[in-house]
Amino acid sequence: MHRFIIGALTAPLALLAPAALAQDKPRDVKGLYLLTDYPAVSVRPGSTSSLGLKLQNYGSPPERLALEVGGVPAGWTATLLGGGQPVAAAMPATDGSVSLQLRLDIPAGTDTGTHTLTVNAEGQNTRASLPIAVTLAKELPAKLKVDSKLPALRGSAKSSFEYQLTIKNDSGRNLLVSFSANAPRNFDTSFTEAYGSQELSSIPIEAGQSKDIKLKVRPPSTVGAGTYPVSVRVTAEDATATAEVALEIVGQPQLRLSGRDGLMSARAEAGAQSTVAVIVSNSGSAPAEEIELSASAPNGWKVEFEPKTVDRLAPGAHKEVQAQLTPVGKALAGDYMMTVRANSRSENASADFRVTVSTSTLWGVAGAGIIGAALLAMVGAVARFGRR
Amino acid sequence: MRREGSPWRGLSAVTMKELADHLSSARMRVLELLVLLTALAALYGAIRQVRDTTAEDPFVFLRLFTSASGQLPSFMSILGFLIPLMAIGLGFDAINGEYNRRTLSRILAQPIYRDALLLGKFLAGLITLAISLSGLWLLVIGLGLIMLGVPPGTEEIARALAVLVIAIAYAGVWLAAAMLFSVVFRSPATAALTTLGIWLFLAVLWPLLAPAIASAIAPPDLRAMLTGQPGIAMLEWQQALLRLSPSQLFTEAMVALFNPSTRALGTIFLSQLHGAVIGAPLPLGQSLLIAWPQTVGLVAASIVLFVIGYVCFQRQEVRA
Repeated sequence: MHRFIIGALTAPLALLAPAALAQDKPRDVKGLYLLTDYPAVSVRPGSTSSLGLKLQNYGSPPERLALEVGGVPAGWTATLLGGGQPVAAAMPATDGSVSLQLRLDIPAGTDTGTHTLTVNAEGQNTRASLPIAVTLAKELPAKLKVDSKLPALRGSAKSSFEYQLTIKNDSGRNLLVSFSANAPRNFDTSFTEAYGSQELSSIPIEAGQSKDIKLKVRPPSTVGAGTYPVSVRVTAEDATATAEVALEIVGQPQLRLSGRDGLMSARAEAGAQSTVAVIVSNSGSAPAEEIELSASAPNGWKVEFEPKTVDRLAPGAHKEVQAQLTPVGKALAGDYMMTVRANSRSENASADFRVTVSTSTLWGVAGAGIIGAALLAMVGAVARFGRR
Repeated sequence: MRREGSPWRGLSAVTMKELADHLSSARMRVLELLVLLTALAALYGAIRQVRDTTAEDPFVFLRLFTSASGQLPSFMSILGFLIPLMAIGLGFDAINGEYNRRTLSRILAQPIYRDALLLGKFLAGLITLAISLSGLWLLVIGLGLIMLGVPPGTEEIARALAVLVIAIAYAGVWLAAAMLFSVVFRSPATAALTTLGIWLFLAVLWPLLAPAIASAIAPPDLRAMLTGQPGIAMLEWQQALLRLSPSQLFTEAMVALFNPSTRALGTIFLSQLHGAVIGAPLPLGQSLLIAWPQTVGLVAASIVLFVIGYVCFQRQEVRA
């Protein structure tokens, strides 16, 4: 009889037992429990929130348990989800548990305050219930955080800027975080894994975890020197976080060589000096200084530049330099390649010129002279030996 | 006795008469037929080869003259061999034929000087050769147009024309040589044999003899022996000796004009080719400049041979 009374007393006790009792003596816990990590939550009106629940069975025989949510304020929708779909009953095995989710759709404009919802699981012999306090708050602490370890990078217009970003999921659940970057016009941005080359647009982050991603910004090569802001925006469901990074682009000269009117060919006569116009232009974003000009031409050719060095070339400016080239006297007629180089402190450029060498016509005149001499001999013979 | 008046009096009469004789003679027809048939065979082979292979060549038309197929040598090398034959055929009995027919004193009894007679005969022979070579040249261009269906470019025509002119000069050398021997020898058979002998010697034997003579003049030095290559001095001697032959001069001029990428005809040092764009065609003027010494050699040689013949003729007893 005693034993029965004790048993009858313990059953309701166990059902309503506070968590402290279960933690102190886990071995002694028996019965059915509805568990959640956070039984009192704050949500924002007009949003949808999910709460993880667990239906735990300690030592009772398996049983069909009908599920329902009580105390739902008018206009709210509370749905119990199991395995991703709405469920109305659960059946945990002995010493087993079933994961459930409580999804709350709270309409906008609901008054702030605390509402208590009760989740009930009811079987033939056992029942469990869990009161959940839902506080409606206008402002919620950030659920997502994005940080950049090195938010300001410096480089030239040709370099690519890589920012390490850490995204932390501070919300209570796993999120699929998508990100976008807002960069100045014509800047190319892409997100990749921290150690990988695959481009990403979103990444799943578990609750409380953080992940590293990399933002790669490639400025257009024509961009001028200056600081350019890029804002990174991270969104997941209803949470948003932004971070600002900056590119500091230092100007860089970019040299180009070409012929006058883009003509990369020249004519020269063997052994004689001829002048080729070479145009040095700076298409970069900073002035080029001390540009030295040199050329590699075939053996024995003489190439000199007038002037030999260009002291300073502003961005976008160009300057004409005369290359005075003298092919070697014994050069054969035909086309030759000559490479002209411009070396600045940090920049260099080269261009190939095709030089068509012609030979002197002096020997042609000499040949005509030989024929003339032969004709003269003929005239002499006619005059000397002429007879009837 | 000194001559009175212009030495050229009667030149046109002699030239026209000789020209008419040449163009109607059976000898000329046989020679032309020989050249034509051989050249056509070579041309046919060349056209077939050009069609098969060189579709991307910017100088397709020039390949008609230079490409050799199978056993047949190229059109121009056949021409280089046969032009002397034609010229010798026309010139070997120019003077001694008249002498043997006892017509020389009769002609000279007319108001025609010996100068005009010799020059008239030479010019008539040269004009005959020029007419037949130009005809052959036009035939090649025409056949090329029909068989290839590609019009020749201006530069190709200009190069081919230059070669035609050089070929006429080449014919002039052999004509002058044949006429020289027809003055020197009283018998046409001896004159013909001598000229043909010289031609065969220069065309066939001289290319074999010249390297041997060159290596005798400039024996290879130690470095050349070690590397197994001929010395530079020897190469230069060899080339100089070879260039004594008109056929060599003609061949070289042809190479320079028909292969536009030819940069030089002599020995080339590797250092001269440093930085050169190999295979780039030279402009026509530069090719002409390369072929110019050869052309000068041919023209000057024909003038000199003619002058020697002239001097011999003037000092000769012409009465039979």
